[in-house]
Amino acid sequence: MASLITCPHCGTRPKEEFSIRGAAAPKRPSPTAKDEAWHRYVYVRDNPKGRYQEYWHHVAGCRRFLVVERDNLTHEVFGVTDAAELERAGAGE
Amino acid sequence: MSINLLHRHALEDHISGFETDPNPNHLCVIRRPVIFSVLAHEGQETAVAEALWNAEDVAPRFCSPSEWFAVSRTLGAETVAGTLSEIAGASVVDQSDGRVLMEISGPSVRTILAKCVAIDLHPEVFEEGHSASMLCCHAEANVARTGADRFEIIVPRSLAGSVFELLMEMGREHALTRGFAG
Ligand SMILES: [Zn+2]
Repeated sequence: MASLITCPHCGTRPKEEFSIRGAAAPKRPSPTAKDEAWHRYVYVRDNPKGRYQEYWHHVAGCRRFLVVERDNLTHEVFGVTDAAELERAGAGE
Repeated sequence: MSINLLHRHALEDHISGFETDPNPNHLCVIRRPVIFSVLAHEGQETAVAEALWNAEDVAPRFCSPSEWFAVSRTLGAETVAGTLSEIAGASVVDQSDGRVLMEISGPSVRTILAKCVAIDLHPEVFEEGHSASMLCCHAEANVARTGADRFEIIVPRSLAGSVFELLMEMGREHALTRGFAG
């Protein structure tokens, strides 16, 4: 487990301050999407090994949702971004 | 507005018996501070932060990019509410009765706090005037450096007792004393 996360707002913090909220890659279906789409989104998830993006909620710090890109095999952290900023950057593309 | 029906502090039962004179290492509980939450509306974050840092007699404390505490030990809640309501693009909430303000100071303060928080408090990293939310004694707290050997800790009222006891325990080897002020 990556034990030190550098929050863009708070600086380097121990993992105890965070709550891990799952993979960040799956896109949330629209509210009117079919049940099958929601079932896939909620229950049918990949369990990848290696580098992937994950939501981390900085509960005991700034209380922002962050996207942590890390390797779950080597514990290496590649980057931490505010989820809202990532969303804005994605929308601007 | 604070509910002032009973002027009984959350730590009243923790600080009983006779009071000793404060030692160099001292934990001071501020009896009735004024603490407001300030939240910036979307897009107004920079302007609100600037206005808050320029506000007179109110100490700003950083919580998140769009949220701060405004602390005062001298002004009343109405005065602070008046000052803060002039900031455009911000919402303010009085948190005075839900938070407890403590000040720990003395030559051993960093050694004591090193056992309570998991962040680097070296003056080059966490300089005077700096503040941030972090875990302190397992509780979510806002810690600010107000002097070279002086820190202010804001904790939720319901967790104040346990944070206070832990701080006192960690300070025991440094002869930490405690008492109310203000
Ligand atoms: Zn943070």
